[in-house]
Amino acid sequence: MSFSQPGLTCYQQFLRGKRIAILDGLLASSSTTQPSPRSVWTRILATIVFFTAFEGILFHSGLYSSIVEPDSTTGFMELQLRNEIRRPKLNRNQVLAVGDSRMPLLPRVVNEAGSGYTFASIALGGTSPRTWYYALRAVDPNASNYAAIVIPSADYNEPDNFDYQSERETDLHYLIGRVGLRDLGEFPWTYRDKRLQWVIVRGMILKGTVYKRDFIEFLDHPLKRIAKARYYDHDSAGWYYVYGGSDKNLAGLRIDWQHQTIQVPDRITSSERNQIEAMLFPALRPGEGRETAYLRYWYGRIIDYYRRSGTKLIFIRVPRAPLSPPDEPPKLDSAIRGIASQPNVVVLNEHLFDQLEHPDLFWDGWHMNRDGMEQFSRALATAVERVLGPPQP
Amino acid sequence: MLFNTPQFFAFLAIVLILFYTAPRSWRKYTLLAASYFFYMSFIPKFILLLVSLTAIDYTAARWISRTESPRSRKVALVVSLAANLGLLGFFKYYNFFAANIGHLLHEPSGAFALSIILPLGISFHTFQSMSYVIDVYREEQEPITNPIDYALFISFFPQLVAGPIVRAREFFGDLYHWRRPSSDDVLRGLLLLFLGLAKKMVMADQFAQIANGYFRDVSRETGAVAAWSAVIAFGIQIYFDFSGYTDMAIGMAKLLGFHFPINFRRPYLASSITDFWHRWHISLSRWLRDYLYIPLGGNRRGRFRTYANLMLTMLLGGLWHGASWNFVVWGGYHGALLSFERIFRGKRSAEPARWTMFYPLQAAITFGLVMIGWVFFRATTFHDSLYVLHQMFFVPDGRLLIPLWQMELALMTLLLALFEEKKDWFEKLTLGPAWAYGAVCAILLLSVELIGFTEAAVPFVYFQF
Repeated sequence: MSFSQPGLTCYQQFLRGKRIAILDGLLASSSTTQPSPRSVWTRILATIVFFTAFEGILFHSGLYSSIVEPDSTTGFMELQLRNEIRRPKLNRNQVLAVGDSRMPLLPRVVNEAGSGYTFASIALGGTSPRTWYYALRAVDPNASNYAAIVIPSADYNEPDNFDYQSERETDLHYLIGRVGLRDLGEFPWTYRDKRLQWVIVRGMILKGTVYKRDFIEFLDHPLKRIAKARYYDHDSAGWYYVYGGSDKNLAGLRIDWQHQTIQVPDRITSSERNQIEAMLFPALRPGEGRETAYLRYWYGRIIDYYRRSGTKLIFIRVPRAPLSPPDEPPKLDSAIRGIASQPNVVVLNEHLFDQLEHPDLFWDGWHMNRDGMEQFSRALATAVERVLGPPQP
Repeated sequence: MLFNTPQFFAFLAIVLILFYTAPRSWRKYTLLAASYFFYMSFIPKFILLLVSLTAIDYTAARWISRTESPRSRKVALVVSLAANLGLLGFFKYYNFFAANIGHLLHEPSGAFALSIILPLGISFHTFQSMSYVIDVYREEQEPITNPIDYALFISFFPQLVAGPIVRAREFFGDLYHWRRPSSDDVLRGLLLLFLGLAKKMVMADQFAQIANGYFRDVSRETGAVAAWSAVIAFGIQIYFDFSGYTDMAIGMAKLLGFHFPINFRRPYLASSITDFWHRWHISLSRWLRDYLYIPLGGNRRGRFRTYANLMLTMLLGGLWHGASWNFVVWGGYHGALLSFERIFRGKRSAEPARWTMFYPLQAAITFGLVMIGWVFFRATTFHDSLYVLHQMFFVPDGRLLIPLWQMELALMTLLLALFEEKKDWFEKLTLGPAWAYGAVCAILLLSVELIGFTEAAVPFVYFQF
């Protein structure tokens, strides 16, 4: 009786009666049977157990990631990884490429040539070295499947872009089916922004917060979604393998790198032109070395992962643009140059693919077309075979 | 600091820890400090207004109780009411009246307007405070001697900004005879917290996307189907928004050992408009009945006076919600419907209808009438209201704005409401097996995680009142 004010005892009795009369259902202040204090803790525990069970079964077991929309970033990533995990690997003469949309490898072209090595790719637009590390961990859990991993770079000088790769929240969306509670000690803390760190921690524990939009779309047509996911799961490996690239090209393109202007052929629309300009002349930050720090960390993680595996890590510079940009003085302390001397790491000459930087071989400012991809694939296969030597029997 | 934010839950956890670890004599100070902190987290300067009103009403009530002279008692009451209504009038209605006077005088719009920010929850705490002073004046309530107790009654954070409007005797009964919450209270309190959060984030905020999209520019979507679906979306939004807030407020209060009256009893299952007002915002209906309708004479002065009293009460109830003609029309519309029911059903209109085969039809008609009323409540202008009503009744076709999953969700909640209406399943839940309680709470939390609108913390609709 802590808040006592004399003279109100009868009053309280009156209230109790009155309140019981006006309240109903859940909100009634008292009931004839009271749960025991112990049952409070039992019920709270039951809530936690059920919630953890629902969350675990749905999202931490891979159940939901198997029916995620295949045409979403998460869905596409999951398909790529599942297809690669299921791909039969008869020997260790396997070469896997990671990368973003600028990785122009067409495994079919190389494999049809029959070099003795089997090429595959899990490159996916919008991904970054952090994503590649977790993707490699997913497809090669024992670090023993591949003779080589090909890792692309767009520029060995690693300039700081306005979009810091280290702060990409989308990485969690790509990887939500592949990162779990065991990664809580590392993954969130590779972001610098405190708010993002919180969002990532929350997303990794409560995966439903990341799947939310997809789940709501799933609720609209659940059966249709499940059918689509099954169809993609069954057939997509073949579609992606036979994909040949775009037939468009930029023949006639001229670039004035000094004044940052371009001349495009008449068939290029103004919006395409703007897009090409944005790709060729991106806004750069004054160099703080953040990109290099980010790459050093994730290249380092990939190298550590394969350290004692015998897998060669082959770093390449992909063809950068439809016309070669002017050479910049090399940044000697860049991440990629720093790792070149490590065992099992091979950093290919950055000018190796310069002859492919031609308007006939690109369909926009960054991406190679069908001819470009085919030529690149053959050139890469030759370079990789040179590094690896003859395939093992 | 909105109820539906992680910051608020952190605040609540700290308050609960401080409250239960503090010595008993310090607990009310803890609650008062927490309540003022909560209020100041919105616009700090308005704490002065809250403290001033608290001081005025505390003093007025003490004055009323001490003096024998009827005239002095009346003066104290008038001073208190004038302070409350004056501040409420200034902050909430000044610009409304200034705009109308300017219009009558053919002055340009905004000629007399002032830049006024509405203090949060002013409509609620002024009504709560006025009811205390009036009760003391009527000698239905003993005056509170300790100003801290009174300050806590006015500012208690679970119900400070959007009710329910608690009577002094209810609050002080709990305060002066405070008991540690029973197991039942704790379980119900937690369940209500989760339920309220789910109502707000899963139902209200998701349906708000549809209603807001439509009412932002009503001319973008034409046809009855679009108009009806947007209005129903708003009807679902406002119910789940307000009742979600109330559930959370009641749940928090239970965890702190206080018991608030209910504010909603499944209003969309009402069989008549009279029944609707027995189920919707019950604490306001009760306030208007006790401090406006009955003092006006209620139903004791003949039929026509009863209709007039009903109309006046509802008009003022409408105006209480906001300073615009739309709210006045909304109140008048409900007043007219209540009067019609009174005309055709007499005193039987107040009796709850039996669950017969006609009940669903009655409930559907009532639901439709309530939805029509929401058009005035939600539309930005009176012109927009008329436009939407025209679309609803005279323009066929249009596009269904509610996606399939939300219709399924609405249907599911309707089934749950029916089940609760007939079976009191929530009542049984706290007493039932632990697994059932745990599963329901877990599903509520999972629904917030999966379907809850989390892109931004959406303020509660009634915060603007």
